[in-house]
Amino acid sequence: MIDAAIKTIFVLLYVTVAFIMTRRDIISLISTYATQSFLLACLAGLLYMQERHATLLWLAALILIIKMVLIPSTIRSIQKKMKRDMEFAYVSPTGSLMLSIVIILLSYGALSHLLRELGLGQLFALGAITGVSFTMMGLVVIFSRKLVLTKIIGYLAMEDGVMIFSMFVAELPLIIEALILVDLFMLIILSTILALGMETTIEEVHKRLQVLVGEEK
Amino acid sequence: MDLFTAGFASMMGGALLRSRVLTLLACLLIAGAAGIFLTENQTITATFYEIVPGLSFAVHIDRLAAFFMLTIAAVSFCVSLYSVEYINQYKHKGLLISLMNIFILSMLLTVAAGNTFSFLFFWELMALSSFFLVMFEYDNDKTRKAGLFYFIMTQLSTLFLFIAFSLLYSYTGTTSMEKIILQEKSTFLFLALFIGFGIKAGIIPFHKWLPYAHPASPSNISALMSGVMIKVAIYGLLRFLLVLPAELWWGLLILGAGTVSALLGVIYALKEHDIKGLLAYHSIENIGIIYMGIGLFVIFSHYNVPALAAMSMAAALFHTLNHALFKSLLFLTAGHVVHTTKTRNIDEMGGLIRQMPYTALLFLIGAMAISGLPPFNGFVSELLLFQALFNASAVHNPIIELVLIICLSLLALTSALAAACFVKAFGMIFLAMPRSAQKTHEASWPMLLGEGLLALACVILGIFSPLYLNSLGYALPNMMFIGGALLFSILFFFLLARANTRYCETWGCGLISQTPRMEYTASGFSEPIVTIFSTIYNPQKHVSKEFFDKSQTLVREGHVEFHLMRFFEEYLYMPIANAAMVIASRIDTLHQKDMGAYIAYVFIAAVILLLWVGWFA
Repeated sequence: MIDAAIKTIFVLLYVTVAFIMTRRDIISLISTYATQSFLLACLAGLLYMQERHATLLWLAALILIIKMVLIPSTIRSIQKKMKRDMEFAYVSPTGSLMLSIVIILLSYGALSHLLRELGLGQLFALGAITGVSFTMMGLVVIFSRKLVLTKIIGYLAMEDGVMIFSMFVAELPLIIEALILVDLFMLIILSTILALGMETTIEEVHKRLQVLVGEEK
Repeated sequence: MDLFTAGFASMMGGALLRSRVLTLLACLLIAGAAGIFLTENQTITATFYEIVPGLSFAVHIDRLAAFFMLTIAAVSFCVSLYSVEYINQYKHKGLLISLMNIFILSMLLTVAAGNTFSFLFFWELMALSSFFLVMFEYDNDKTRKAGLFYFIMTQLSTLFLFIAFSLLYSYTGTTSMEKIILQEKSTFLFLALFIGFGIKAGIIPFHKWLPYAHPASPSNISALMSGVMIKVAIYGLLRFLLVLPAELWWGLLILGAGTVSALLGVIYALKEHDIKGLLAYHSIENIGIIYMGIGLFVIFSHYNVPALAAMSMAAALFHTLNHALFKSLLFLTAGHVVHTTKTRNIDEMGGLIRQMPYTALLFLIGAMAISGLPPFNGFVSELLLFQALFNASAVHNPIIELVLIICLSLLALTSALAAACFVKAFGMIFLAMPRSAQKTHEASWPMLLGEGLLALACVILGIFSPLYLNSLGYALPNMMFIGGALLFSILFFFLLARANTRYCETWGCGLISQTPRMEYTASGFSEPIVTIFSTIYNPQKHVSKEFFDKSQTLVREGHVEFHLMRFFEEYLYMPIANAAMVIASRIDTLHQKDMGAYIAYVFIAAVILLLWVGWFA
């Protein structure tokens, strides 16, 4: 029963990341990220029911507070003007989806026999593959989006991948998880301030700073 | 061990307090301790500080290490004595003292290193401290170029050593010098060691940094770099060669590289007019001679001729000590000459024997020793090498015998050319009339004392070493007799010549007043040799003329440029540098201002890693 629920959550998580890769509407992006965080918290909760590690319960609570509530609300409160992100680089949203399918297949092909050798069960192997795939898809989001805000969502998706991997393969101590979350929270605030407005790209910030520094030789 | 610790502590104290006295004390303590080790055949191994398990700073001093430590400490003592007065000419003399102390200490600790980690650490410290010393007169363009060249080459050397030590660790599972014994043959390991140490030793074709860096440094540092630093590379090569299962071709490669370096080193020295450049090229020549001894050791060991192998090794080690002594002496005397004449060009010197007779005498001793003339130390070590080569028939392989005979003849040619080169150097610097208006003066007594001790060592080792070596079974002539006979002959011919000498002005082609420009120059002296070796030098003459008339019959003025080919620079270094530039420019196209591009690179790298993990790992 729990296994089936976990597998269902995996599928839903893949759907959320597909949304993150393709959505142009910023509000919808943030909501998708909040949904993904909720699913992660459910995953940690289900794992707790199976493994009975108190750490997982704490992790679920932290995810709910920070990733589902705090981070999305912070981003929402900072961004006022931007409604849509239409700027893509290197790959289009459709291309990103195709690429993510390749990534999942590649991760499965590359890691399945390795994880089998490690003696992991089928569910845990699936969790590890999902974690790696998420991290890679987060990278795709970062380089395929131009706006700072959507790049931040990419970073967060990457962090989710790391978290899923650690939950299923090598459980990190809670304190490290907490630190990662705090780091991410700081990263969002700093990046937002640096971006000097939510419609800005990193390249525009570079140009603005260059005015102060002077021309490159 | 206590003496060594006290010595290292004094050297460190000297660096921190910028004290010349502490440097001298440290050199004495370490030389004394190393001397005791050599005579008593002791070995010590100790770990000073463990960073993580398996990675520690450790020392391992055996007779081989003690021999090199004695050489470094003895030469450093004389150089430090010389430096007491010499460094007063520099504005930042405190910094110079500190760097010099760190440099000496790093050389000593490299030799004393107990594991490959410590060796590489102190090797790098030696490279960095010597780089700063080369750049000491950084306001000069040539110095900056020399420093950059030296830095790149020395880092390349470290890179090859790093590869070699990594391979060594993968084969033996240990970094400890004491425990490294390799049974399996490894070509890559040997080549990495050969190139890594070869660059630092200045062996051809890795020598190019040497004629740039040595002249650019202050003369006391040149003496240390040329006298002892390049010997640390010899120590490294020997240390690892002795624990590897050597193959015949290793010996042939070392012998070949040594012979080529010896011959080309002296040929390049002959056309050099910069006194410090000339001495730097002679370092290449002498390192070549040492390499010949090491190569012969490997070859004779392969053919199981232990007596000749031991003789070759003795020749290599003794020449290492000898070269450290006479090359430091020559650099120190040349340093005073350069300081007082304010030029390094020997064509602008001349007649200095009148103003600085002691310096001239000391330079002469160094010149005779490096030329391999009896009764000086250079003669004894070269004679040992000649004797080893004369016994080529012991290998019972006609091809190898032929190779050894060719090397023997080339070594003989090298010795003759070295003597010719120092006739030129001594003649142009100290004899005849001054070629430019100079106000020169004799060196101060601490400088002369430092040089004098080195000269005395050259004489004592030349005369008395055969007594010791003969007791080990070698057949060397009685140098006291040879020295006495030579001295008597020289005095006899000098007095005979003086009695029949008529003093008059040289015929000056009808010109009324003669100027120093009409004297025999270094270019004139080396012209026949340049002609003989024109294939190597490949001299190119560019003549441009301007005429008064259109039919080009009346010459208004002309300009002649004379260039000698820099073979290795033009055909080895520049093509490699150009290839590196092309690759760098290709890679440069990947550099973009777009951060997304870099993330995409990370993504591609992650995909490649996944593929590798899945299907190739």
